[in-house]
Order: sequence, then structure tokens, then C-alpha cells
Amino acid sequence: MKIKTLKKTSNELKIEVEGMGHTLCNLLQKRLLEDENVDLAGYNIPHPLASNSIIYVRTKGNVESKSALLKAVEKTREMNEKFRKEIEKALKKI
Amino acid sequence: MWSVEIVEVEVLEKDERNVRLLIRGVDVPFVNALRRTIISEVPCMAIDEVVMIENSSILQDEIIALRLGLIPLKTDLDSYNLPQECPCKSEFGCNLCRVTLTLDVEAKEETRTVYSGELKSENPEIVPVSDKIPIIKLARGQKLRLEAYARLGKGKNHAKWQPVSMCTYKYFPKIEVLSKCDACGKCVEICPRKVLAKTENKIEVRNLMACTLCQDCVEVCPQNPPAIKVEHEEDTFIFSLESTNALPPERILTEAIKILDKQFNEFEEQIKVEKGEES
Ligand code: SF4
Ligand code: SF4
Ligand SMILES: [Zn+2]
Repeated sequence: MKIKTLKKTSNELKIEVEGMGHTLCNLLQKRLLEDENVDLAGYNIPHPLASNSIIYVRTKGNVESKSALLKAVEKTREMNEKFRKEIEKALKKI
Repeated sequence: MWSVEIVEVEVLEKDERNVRLLIRGVDVPFVNALRRTIISEVPCMAIDEVVMIENSSILQDEIIALRLGLIPLKTDLDSYNLPQECPCKSEFGCNLCRVTLTLDVEAKEETRTVYSGELKSENPEIVPVSDKIPIIKLARGQKLRLEAYARLGKGKNHAKWQPVSMCTYKYFPKIEVLSKCDACGKCVEICPRKVLAKTENKIEVRNLMACTLCQDCVEVCPQNPPAIKVEHEEDTFIFSLESTNALPPERILTEAIKILDKQFNEFEEQIKVEKGEES
């Protein structure tokens, strides 16, 4: 995974990520949009065969886009971790 | 809004090939990421390269190679590396990233079918999941001798590396029969999954899990607006997975979770070092 910054202002961040497709982008976008500090979040996959994506985040100004992005990643990981624990518990029961 | 506390998993069904889960407290992007990861990122073994020593059958080498590739192999993820991640860094591979299988068959007396069980593997753990997959028919006197190399790979590069033959999810249904229902029984009749049942003068939901949300029962209801409502829960899913037997289904799930986690860790690290100069 490699990241290239395309645009950065006080409340905007646009990055190009190599090796990140719909799987992760869609999940990340959903978590970003749940954040009340985020004004706009979206992603675009310019070519359907290459797994390069462009992620855009704009906050309402009180936090940096980067920290909003990090928070979203954290939330996603938390959900994943919780799911892992629950599934282990459920598999043990049977 | 989502919170961790409500995530809940229940195993509805499980055998050596299938698993069906009831997952509560997650959303579509999450289950979909899980499904996509299982299909395209969880590695398994498949024959990737074939050296033909002798082929006097009527099929071309390429077709036989393709057929061999599509035979699911029992996979050992702990002892083998993905070729691109293997320390040997060789194109040919080493003992840690490649398994050799050989096939040496001849139709001596009469026409016969060659089955996957005749492939001899150097590792008794890495063998076809079934011995009864036909590979080719040989006529009398025809011979087939080859060496095949199996490697780990991912479904995103070729479907032969997909550890599942099916992996889907559906919304958990929610059916409500309103009090104005006169129990005419039309909905019971039409339901293709026998979800509904008529008891005396009431309609009962008997087998909620089987409902496919087709809405046939709603459309057939003579009342206007219909006396039956079929909706779905927003955060509850029935997740089903059928392994090709390359890996046990629970291993596929845990592997997918691990891969998702790894990818997000990698992304986080990259974001952290992002300095922000426009390029
Ligand atoms: S939606 Fe379809 S499957 Fe579900 S109860 Fe109605 S008719 Fe049956
Ligand atoms: S079709 Fe409508 S009125 Fe008839 S039993 Fe079903 S829900 Fe009730
Ligand atoms: Zn190697």
C-alpha cells in the first residue's frame, strides 16, 4: 500500500492509495460519514482493473481531515476486532 | 450510529464445509468487506504451472493444465508462503512456497478416465479435496505424464485460488401481519419458501429465516394496503459460506478478519507518515 497526497488544505485531504479497492474504501467512507465533524467523504476508483483509489475527506473545520481519517480507521478496526472475538466465542459454543 | 457493544454472532449451522452465521450489530459495508475479502484475498493452493513430459491424449497441454488448476487442493496456510512473500525470492519457488504433484497414467487395455486421485503429491497434506474429479479420458495406448506445481494464490488473480464456492449474505427478514388480515390464506399459498402458515383464523410466521424478501405475499394480499408487511432489519445479516474444502470454513473467516486488520494497519501507518506536500 502506497499513498500519494493530491491535495491538502486546512480541512481537506485528497489522497491516492495504491492497492485499496472498494472493499476497504466503502467501509472507510461509511465510518467517515458517521463522524459529525466530517462534512464530506467519498472515494473514486479511476480504473476498474487497477486497484488504485482516490479518497477525499473534508471536515467542518474544527478537526484536521487526517485525524478524521485516522479515527475512521480506528473505528473500523475496532469493529473487526469485536467481530473476531464474537465469532470465536460463537464457534466455541458449538 | 454503530457502536461495538451490539455486535453479536451466532452460528446457525456448521459442518466441515459450510457455515451459516447470524451477525447482529454490523452494517452492509462491513459484511460486504468480509465477503469480498473471503472471495478475493484469502489464499489457497492451486496448481499454477504444469510441465508436460508426455501427452498423447487428444487434449492440448493447455486444456489439461487449466483443468488441473481448477482442482481444489487441501491447503496448509501455516506451512506455506505466498510466492511473492517467500524469502526464497525465486521465480521457480522452494519447499516453502511450492508443492509438486505428478501424474503418470496410461490406458493399457481400454478407454479409461483419469481422476484427481491419481495425482501424486510430494506432501501428503496437499492433495485434491476429492479423489473423484475427472481430469481426462484416455483411449487405449494414450499416455499422460506431467509434473505440476501448486502454489498459494489469491482469488483476485484467478478463481482457482478462491477458497469458497459460495459466500453471500442476506438481510434478516422482519414480517408483520396486521390485525386487519382476514386470514384468507392467499399469502400462505404463494410463499415459495413456506414461511407462513395458517392456524385457525390467524396467519403465523413459521420459518422466518427462510424468507427471501421476495414480497410475493405482499403483492398477492387482496387488501389495500396489504395486511402483511415484509421488511428487513438494518443491522442483522445471515452470512453463508461454502468452502471448496481447501480450508475449513472457520479458518476462512478468521483468515479474512486477519487480512482486513492487516490492511487497515498498513493504511494507518501510511496515513501517519503522510507529510502532506502536494506531489
Ligand atoms: S417475502 Fe416471499 S419468502 Fe418471504 S414470506 Fe413473503 S412470500 Fe414468503
Ligand atoms: S393474503 Fe393478506 S389478508 Fe390474506 S391471509 Fe395473507 S395477509 Fe391476511
Ligand atoms: Zn519460496
